[in-house]
Amino acid sequence: MTSAGGFIKSIESGSKHLVIKRFTLRYPEKKLKFVGDGYQFDPKKGVGIAGYRGRHILMHDKCTGCQLCAIACEGIAEAIGMVKVDEQWKHNKKGIMPQIDYGKCVFCGLCVDACPFYALFMTNDYELSAFTKEHLIYTPAQLAIKPKYQGDVEIVIDDRGATHG
Amino acid sequence: MTSIEEKFEESKRLGLQIVKESAEEDRLMTLSVGPQHPGSGHFRFVIKLDGDYIVYCDPDPGYVHRGEEKMCEYRNVIQNIPHLERPVIHDSANITYSYSLAVEELVGIEVPRRGQFIRAIASELNRQVYTLYWLAIYGIFLGHSTMFMWPTGDREVIIDLLEALTGARVTHAYNIPGGVRNDMPEGFRDRCLSQIRYLQKRFKEYEDIFYNNPLFRQRTEGVAVLSKEDAIKLGVTGSVVRASSVPFDVRKAEPYDIYNEIDFKVQYMKTGDCFARSYVPLLDMQESCYIIEQLLDKMPASGEVRAKLQPNPKGPPGESYRRVESGRGALGYYIVSDGTPKPYRVKISVGSFRNMLALPFLLVGQRLADMPAVYWSLNYWPVEADR
Amino acid sequence: MASHPQDFRFGGFVVSLIWLIFWILVIVALVGLPLIFIILFYVPLPEVDGEVLTPYLFLTSILYPQSAIPVIETLLDTTLFKVAVFPGFTYAALIAAATIFIERKFLAKMQLRVGPLYAGKIEGILQLLADGLKLLSKEIIIPSGSDKLIFWAAPIAFVATAAAVVALIPAAPGWVVADIDVGLLAVFAILGFFPLIALLFSWASNSKYPFIGGLRALHQLIAFEIPFILSALSVVILSGTLNLTEVVESQIQSYWFIFFLPISAFVFYISSLAELERIPFDLPEAEAEIVAGWLTETSGMIYGLLQLGSYIKTYALAALFVILFLGGWAGPQIFPAEIIPESTEAVIPVGELYEQTDANAVFWFTLKTFGVIMLMLLPRGISPRIRIDILLHTGWYKLIVLAFINMFVALALIYGGVLGPGGLLVR
Repeated sequence: MTSAGGFIKSIESGSKHLVIKRFTLRYPEKKLKFVGDGYQFDPKKGVGIAGYRGRHILMHDKCTGCQLCAIACEGIAEAIGMVKVDEQWKHNKKGIMPQIDYGKCVFCGLCVDACPFYALFMTNDYELSAFTKEHLIYTPAQLAIKPKYQGDVEIVIDDRGATHG
Repeated sequence: MTSIEEKFEESKRLGLQIVKESAEEDRLMTLSVGPQHPGSGHFRFVIKLDGDYIVYCDPDPGYVHRGEEKMCEYRNVIQNIPHLERPVIHDSANITYSYSLAVEELVGIEVPRRGQFIRAIASELNRQVYTLYWLAIYGIFLGHSTMFMWPTGDREVIIDLLEALTGARVTHAYNIPGGVRNDMPEGFRDRCLSQIRYLQKRFKEYEDIFYNNPLFRQRTEGVAVLSKEDAIKLGVTGSVVRASSVPFDVRKAEPYDIYNEIDFKVQYMKTGDCFARSYVPLLDMQESCYIIEQLLDKMPASGEVRAKLQPNPKGPPGESYRRVESGRGALGYYIVSDGTPKPYRVKISVGSFRNMLALPFLLVGQRLADMPAVYWSLNYWPVEADR
Repeated sequence: MASHPQDFRFGGFVVSLIWLIFWILVIVALVGLPLIFIILFYVPLPEVDGEVLTPYLFLTSILYPQSAIPVIETLLDTTLFKVAVFPGFTYAALIAAATIFIERKFLAKMQLRVGPLYAGKIEGILQLLADGLKLLSKEIIIPSGSDKLIFWAAPIAFVATAAAVVALIPAAPGWVVADIDVGLLAVFAILGFFPLIALLFSWASNSKYPFIGGLRALHQLIAFEIPFILSALSVVILSGTLNLTEVVESQIQSYWFIFFLPISAFVFYISSLAELERIPFDLPEAEAEIVAGWLTETSGMIYGLLQLGSYIKTYALAALFVILFLGGWAGPQIFPAEIIPESTEAVIPVGELYEQTDANAVFWFTLKTFGVIMLMLLPRGISPRIRIDILLHTGWYKLIVLAFINMFVALALIYGGVLGPGGLLVR
């Protein structure tokens, strides 16, 4: 009666799970923690620094308006366009900075790889919903804001199973 | 363009599977298991039923064709990576791995050793992610909702790991020609090992509730047997061919990167029925766990992960063909370059499309109730087959 | 960085409130009042203490609340109360609703996830209400080539037949809608309607996938009626009667029948899973093979009616299992004799309505029914779907043989004088 044994084993396996803690992440009451501040790229060494690829952050005091990020994105998603800004910077003679359309961006981070001046990084912020498509286009001033992201939980594995805690 | 009927005639001549024909066409019912069907995915096949038995099957792919190969000709070598990983979003490290190998051969780049190890780790983790998702859908096709939820939940554990490593949960854009884009974060090694151990414990639960479940066994043992000769003649690949007692794995047959330094067995089963095709991926996943442990041990403690590239990498005119073992089978890229930074022609050869050719042969003669079990056991991913 | 929602204007809010009150007044005046008058003219009024209860008497009883109690007692004895509230439709619907919610939470716990969570303050308890409202508000799409009369009539017939089975189930001694001497046979006769309804509905849908689903439903439901009846036959042999109330009485006099007939109970359990089209026997509604089987063309409230009927049938068959094998409402007396002692004077002596035996019976019956329902929910988390040839093989060969084995055991017990009138184990 191996089939009876198989049934009993499956019932046992299913019932065992009634006493294990649930695995669900209770978003949005609890959010995941990330290690680090986001994806960054070091042009001197030519390699990236591990991090989450969320919304970009633009350092206005380093951006020279060289357009390399826009050229890199032209072949991928065409999400970066250069716009004129009112600020006067010594290192930004043309007065242009990137504006990113998050309706088109695929968050691949190749624009961060392309920037040679440590001006464009990515952050942990991924909650970017908006009500209209125009609100998804982030101007250089909006890109300069550092996001406040609070992560509470991470995956914890113990003998009885894995939970988000 | 030869139709399926002519192919069947030719297959009969070659001595392959004899197609069951019904003399009276009136009694056949034509069902379109189309894209709007819970049991088919982004794929359509037309079947004709004689009572409860299927007598004819005509697959109709192409619903998700997005022109991946043509798009490659308009972007340079690095810009190709984000759109090339869209055919299989959760196995993206493998589909870009093969592309990177082919480009490196064309352009002539040498990948540093640590980068090769990390690439292999990402590839193995992605293989597990894909196979767990495939297993979840196999469970729900057979009506087993628990088997749908458990692998999807356990997959989160690995996706969390990949998110720490690459920065994105799926479509990592991590492998590029020259290596990988960033080094491992701190604490990755211990986290990876603990999560691999957790996954190995979960495989035992899957066996208890799914593989050793007498109802599942009754439904899949002896169903749609693909013999060894048929498997070789049809050209199927991946876990499907390994379930028909052909121990072929690209990582062993044509080792790439550092796979010739890793010691692992090629898992295969001899029966060739649906049960074997559904069990071999689980064995592959267990083997993958051992490979990851070896990779983490043998990896050099520090080093470069990415080779320096000129801004628009280009190589001498030529062609290259490299392939990789992905979750579905052998995934190959054939790239022709004419000396410019943008490739002249890119041809992607995916395992799913080759496995789809076995579908008409296997479905004929089975019951309607076996249709989802057979169809999904061929490890077919519709988006990848259409590219 | 998002746009503002619409501004709240207090004047608009007041206007909408006034419109609401206006429409309520109109409906009460034009519809409610005529209805009350019609009821007063045509429905026979109950008798209380030898006097017919006229509306004037009813209004004077507001001043003397203690005279309300005899009215309520009379109401509790009427058939209308038994059909509508207990043990009839409301009771069955409440248990069905609780079953659906418990099923979702129970399966979610087994699958390491949370079930419904956001509808209602406590862990999604109002989810069923939300689903019901959603189904009520959806459009009912009827395919153009379908047979419209049967398309509308079949779901209503489904719920009606399920309610008819519920009408035969006693929940406490004396609390049964229809106390028929051949109660068990009537249950099986009514259960035989379900394959017809499934087949009619699938044929009326005029589509291929429902057609396949309807044929599968026909095969499955008819194949499993026979082991169903045979396993219940052993109980009839042991108790000597077909009347469901007397079956429970004979179990109270001896021991619960599940100890003598474990194999029959198992066969009954498997057959009832097949009759209810629950996993692992949900081939008529196999999602990956035939879209949704014979329910494919349903939408909106038609789907809601079919689900309601299905869960009411679940309650009915679980209650039948409890009555036949688990002793019905038998259980140790745990309720006090009176909930409010005689000495205290209350304005409305509700304590007179309480009866110790009835409360005890209802409590144990409900507890056991819930236990059996939980047992019926368990295979949903554990097994995949079965295939039709394995199903028919199991139903026709294995289960009938097992039912016959236990029937011989029952016959041996009767002839050996262990059970039956004047037997060894009869108390």
